[in-house]
Formats: sequence, C-alpha cells, structure tokens
Amino acid sequence: MEGRLMQPEQFQQVFNRLEAEVQKVIVGHHDLIREILIAFFAGGHVLLEGVPGLGKTLLVKALTHALGMSFKRIQFTPDLMPSDIVGTEVLTDTSGRREFQFKKGPIFAHVVLADEINRATPKTQSAVLEAMEEKQVTVFGESHVLASPFIVLATQNPIELEGTYPLPEAQLDRFFFKLLVMPPAPPELREILKRTTGAEIPDAGRVLPDDNGDLVNAMKQLLRQVMIAPPIEDYVVRLVHATQSDGQNGAAAKTSVKQYIRFGSSPRGAQAIILGAKGNALVEGRVHVSYEDVEKITLPALRHRIILNFQAEAENITADQVIGEVMKQVPRQ
Amino acid sequence: MQAQPQSQERSGAEILLDRLAAKLNRHALWDTLLLIVPPFGAAIYALLMLLRGTEMDSWAIGLIVILSVAAAMVATRFYYRLHTPNIPKVAQLADRQSGAKDHFLTLATLPSGNYPVSFITRLRRESSAFGNRIEIKRDFPYKIKRSAYGAMGASLIAVLLIQLIAPIVRGGARVAPVTARLHELADKMAAKPELKSLARKLEALAAKLEDPKASAQEKQQLAQELEKQIEEQEKREDTQENRNLLGEASGALEGGVEQQVASAKSSKEQEKGGAGIQSNLPQKGQGQSKENQGAGAGKGDSKTEAKSDLQQGNTGTPKPNEPAQQKNPQQGETADRNQTDPKQMNKEPTKEQAGKTQGGSKEGAGTQQASDQPPPQGVSPADRFYPSGEGKQSLQGAGYVTVQLPEEIAADGKFESRPGKDSKGGRSRLQVPVSNVPLPAHIPNAASEKQQLPIEYRGMIR
Repeated sequence: MEGRLMQPEQFQQVFNRLEAEVQKVIVGHHDLIREILIAFFAGGHVLLEGVPGLGKTLLVKALTHALGMSFKRIQFTPDLMPSDIVGTEVLTDTSGRREFQFKKGPIFAHVVLADEINRATPKTQSAVLEAMEEKQVTVFGESHVLASPFIVLATQNPIELEGTYPLPEAQLDRFFFKLLVMPPAPPELREILKRTTGAEIPDAGRVLPDDNGDLVNAMKQLLRQVMIAPPIEDYVVRLVHATQSDGQNGAAAKTSVKQYIRFGSSPRGAQAIILGAKGNALVEGRVHVSYEDVEKITLPALRHRIILNFQAEAENITADQVIGEVMKQVPRQ
Repeated sequence: MQAQPQSQERSGAEILLDRLAAKLNRHALWDTLLLIVPPFGAAIYALLMLLRGTEMDSWAIGLIVILSVAAAMVATRFYYRLHTPNIPKVAQLADRQSGAKDHFLTLATLPSGNYPVSFITRLRRESSAFGNRIEIKRDFPYKIKRSAYGAMGASLIAVLLIQLIAPIVRGGARVAPVTARLHELADKMAAKPELKSLARKLEALAAKLEDPKASAQEKQQLAQELEKQIEEQEKREDTQENRNLLGEASGALEGGVEQQVASAKSSKEQEKGGAGIQSNLPQKGQGQSKENQGAGAGKGDSKTEAKSDLQQGNTGTPKPNEPAQQKNPQQGETADRNQTDPKQMNKEPTKEQAGKTQGGSKEGAGTQQASDQPPPQGVSPADRFYPSGEGKQSLQGAGYVTVQLPEEIAADGKFESRPGKDSKGGRSRLQVPVSNVPLPAHIPNAASEKQQLPIEYRGMIR
C-alpha cells in the first residue's frame, strides 16, 4: 500500500494545474471547479443546477479537455429513449453471417454531460442509474463495463419547469454533489466579455498525459487514504442524523428545522461528506481531515438529499437554509 | 492517549499534549476543590456548631464528621471526573491555541495501524511545528472560576451567619440538666485544691438529686446547706477565678436545684394520690372526656390529682408504694421539663384539660361504686368496652386501657364495684376488683391473681 501511494504534494500539484487550466476558460466559479474535481477524484457524479447561459457546458468541456479524457454529451429531451443513452444491439452482416452486435451509446465515455437531464422521461433517466452506480450497463441481458474513470455531469434548469420530469429521489441520491451555478458578479462578467469577445478565445490545456488512467486511479486511492479523526467522523454522523425526520429514526437529534424535513439524508450523504472532506484536505496540503473540511463539503453533499415538506415550500425555506441551521445547531463535540 | 501510531517514538506534539492534559487536569482539580471544599467545610462547621448544643456522644459526632468528609470527598471525585478534560478536548485546545487545523486532534485520537506510516510521520512533524507555538505556562494559565468565587463567598457568609446565630439558638434551646451542671462545676472545682472539699459535696448533692429514693426535703436541705458553705467560701476566696466558680455554683444551686426539688416534690405528691387513666388513645380533648365519664360523683382532691397526672402525661402503672422516679422514668423527665417554668404547674387547667380531668377522676371514683348485683347476662358491654373502632363512642386505635386508682382509695380496700348510676336499666355489675393494678397484700379481699381484669374486659381478650 505504502509503496504505490502517490505523494500528497503530487496530488496537490496535479489538482492545482487542472484548476488553473479550467480557470483559463471559466471566469470565477473557483469553488465550483474545485468541487467538481474533488467529486471526480472521489469517484462521484455531479448535478449542476443553473439557468441557461452560465457556462455549464463550457465548464464541463474545459474540464474534460484538461483531463485529456473522452467526453460525450447527451441532450436530454422528452422523446429520448434509454437505448439512445446506453446503446443497443443491431443486426450486422459480417462475412456472410448475420448477427447482433452491441453498439455502444454515449454513456461509454470517461466524462458524460447529461444536459438538461430533467427533460427526459423517468424511464430514460433511470437508464442512467445503473451506469452511475455500478459503472456498467446491461443491454439484452448482457452487462457492459463502462470506462474508468467515469463521471456523469448532469445539468438541470431550475426555471422553465413545464414539460420537465423532476429527478426521482433515488437518482438524486446517486449524485455525489449538487452544485449551484450562480450568475457572475460584475467584475467576472467583464472578464468573461473580454475573454469571449476578443479575437482569441482561450482554451484549456491538457494536464494529464495520454495514459492517464493510472495517474487518476492513484490520485483516487490517495484520497481515500487521508486520515480522519474519530471525533470528526462522529460529527459527520451527528450532522446527517440531525437532518433525518423523526420517522426516520432521527428523533434523538433535536433541531428546530425538523419541521421542514420530509426525508433526511441517506448514508450516501455521510459518505459523500467524508470523501469530499478528504479531497478538500488533500487539496489544501493536509493528510488529515479537519472540521472545516467537513463544514465546507456538507452543503453540496446534502442539499439534494434532503426532501422538504409542504410547510417548507409554503414558507419558501430552501434545503440550503435547513442544512445551514442544522450545522449551527449540531456542535462539533 | 489513544494514538500511539506504530512503534515510533513519541513526537514533541504528543509529549506536549500529555503535558497539557496533566496541566488541565490540575486546573480541574483546583476548580473542583475550590468549588466543593468551602461549602462542605461550611456545612461541617455548621453541623459541629449544632451538635455542640446537643448531648450527643463524641464518637457519634466524630462519625457524622467523618461521614461528611467522606461525602465531600465523593463529591470532589465525582465533580473532578466530570470536569476533567478528555484527550480530544485537550487536543482541540492545543489546535485552537496554535492555529493548527485539527492536527493535534487527529494525532491524539487516530486509531493506530489504519493509515500509512508516511501520513502519520507527516502529521507528527506538522503537529510538532504547530506545537512550537504553544508555551503551556503562558497560554494556559490557571484562573479561578467565578463559580469558585461564588462558592467561597457563600460559604464564608454561611459560616459568619452560623457564628452569629448559633449562640442565640443554643442559648434559647438548650437548658442543661441541673445535675449535669453540678457535675461540671464539681469537676472544675476539683481542679482547685482549696475547693476540693466543696467539689466533693457538690458531687454528693448531684448524686442525691439523681437518687429517686431521697426525699425532697432532704435534697432541699442539703442544697441549702451547701449553698451557705459556698457563700462562706466565696467570701474567703482571694482569687477572682475561684470566686467566679463559686458564684456559678451558688447560682446553679439557687435556681436549678430548687426547681428540681420542687418539681420532684410535686410529681411525688401527684403520684401519691395519682389517679389516672393511661392509654394509647389519641388525645381528642372533649371527646376523650366524654369517653372517660364514669358513674358516680368524684371527689374534689382526686379531681385535682387526676388533672395533674394527665397534664404530666404520666404513663405506666406504678406500684403504689414505690417512689415516683423508679415507677415511671418519664415522670422524671416531666419534672425536668417543668423546671423551665414551674409556675405552669400551678396554673388553672384549661377547659379541655378540665374536661379530661373530670372524666378521669369520675372514672377513678366510679370504680369505687361496685355492684353487689349478679353479673349481667346477655347485655352488651358499655360503649367504652367495644372493640377498637366499634360502638357509639368508639375507642379509635385503642390497644390497651389501664386504670390506676388513687392510693388512698386503694388503701380503703373497697375494690368491689357497686351499682353505677349510669348503668343502663339499673343493671348491676359483677362483684370483682375493677382495677388492674396489683392489690396490696394486706387487703383481705385481694385476689389471688396479680392483675385481675374486670369481667367486661375478659371477653375482649383472646
């Protein structure tokens, strides 16, 4: 274990270069870029939510380019079929013999951009479920392993909800982070204009070598080796427990925001927090997790895992507000 | 410390954490002591002050003090254990003080063997670097907590209050028995060679006073003689100390002995003609007097005696010819109580007491009027002889009833009942002795059994 481990400094170096390359294309959104990269090295998928025109697709493209990995984009529409995503068996004629051959869908790429994922029907959305969780797809009873590393970066539009199919909770839970893409601030907008309306449009340079699989895997392995103290683990447990409603065995945790929660976070939420915190610790040059890492990661890891009730909707309470209150009320020790 | 990664030597950070933990434990101990000891000290002091006023044995006081100290120690230990900072807390303090990002916490709490050695080495190195920023003496000085100040202040106030109040309380509540005072004074006087003879006499007087067989006149005479001797000695004495001592003795003789003799005398007098009824019935005032109404008219003197007997709360059934104190030790106690206000004994009885007295005396007198008629057949017993809780005037909670006749009546030998005025339908009672007090041997009609019960009672005894 020790011999094959990458050095934390090397991880930090690669990570910082990737960030820098993406930031050549994307103005601002430093946290967003960092969190996407952390999710990538933690082996998770990311749901990006934002209004059109904020550079979501551009961000994903730039990231893919920097990583030097295969990239596919799927535009989700109401008439999109599962086979359009995972692929299908087609009858082929090879040397006089006619046989079915599996034709891979766009899901067979390292980085998949599922654009406007909430526009497809639930049937199609569920086709992505197995791919996201198992890193494989099954077509006509035959399983096909996906590329490694594999990450789904889905986007959804919070407005224009007509004709959309909100993602089911089961699918939402499979996203490691849900990140909100916010409109740029005036200085950032000025910089965007300067970069995109000039004669030369910058592009992200490639950071990882062609044979990058081993390097990415080594980085992933290193991330999981980061140390976390038992009291910090307990803190994560208490945080996740505090989001659970009384019916979910969360009666012991007393928080004033429980009245707004219909369903709290699943154990995947706690896993996401710890892995994300480990990634954040490595990025900051540490080999152990701190409370600050946990607090930084909690919001993107839990905001899509908490289902609010009607009262919260009526009072315009958001998941972020609920999580913020939970973090205030749960002590570190 | 939980984390002892691998077999490597302890780093500076771990040593620092150990030292800091020891220091914080000492702080917690001081906090505990300052918070627990003053209130417990004050409580023990208060206890001692209160117990000084009682006649409790010194070993009992010692036991109470030891128990109090043990309780204080238990409380100290309990509080200390609750407030001793644990390792994660110590590590967090170190992190906060040095600006580390949970380096110390991770180092102190990490389970060994689960992580790469290189990571742990790196963590130790980084923690030690942060540890250099900490100087325990400077960064973690001991400060007395507000609660400790509060506890000390409150305890001090309590002690001062006790100091002020205790003498007042003791002075009012405690009146030492005269004999004990005389013994005490005799001990003091025995220490002075010139007062030794007087001390012996004082001891003798105290012994006489305690002797129930000695007559009141004898006691009083002895006291007066001794008082005179003391006064004479006092005049002869040169030293102020001796004069004070003699003055105290004289005062004790003047007040206490006279009172004791008087009360003993009166109680003996009461005993002499002491008719009374004693039972474990609840004292209900008028109800009881009704209950006790017997047949026949009472004599005046027996009324008074019965009254004083009831007032005194006499218990037991003393033998007629024995001195009061031997017969009933509670009488002595009553006499002691009466010393505090001897005038009370001569006061007129209250209405309620009068009712009781009348009832009691009537009962006593009524017993003289025995009947010569044959025993009642098929007639229900008098209401007062119903079993407990039954009858018109039920004897609530009565377990026993004893009747004691006045001595002079007993001496008359009239122990046979006569037809009672209130006996229903003029029915007569059996000719039996009606007192359960043993009859004097010289009475010719005395029953062979020592305590013969009236026939009415016999059916009730199972």
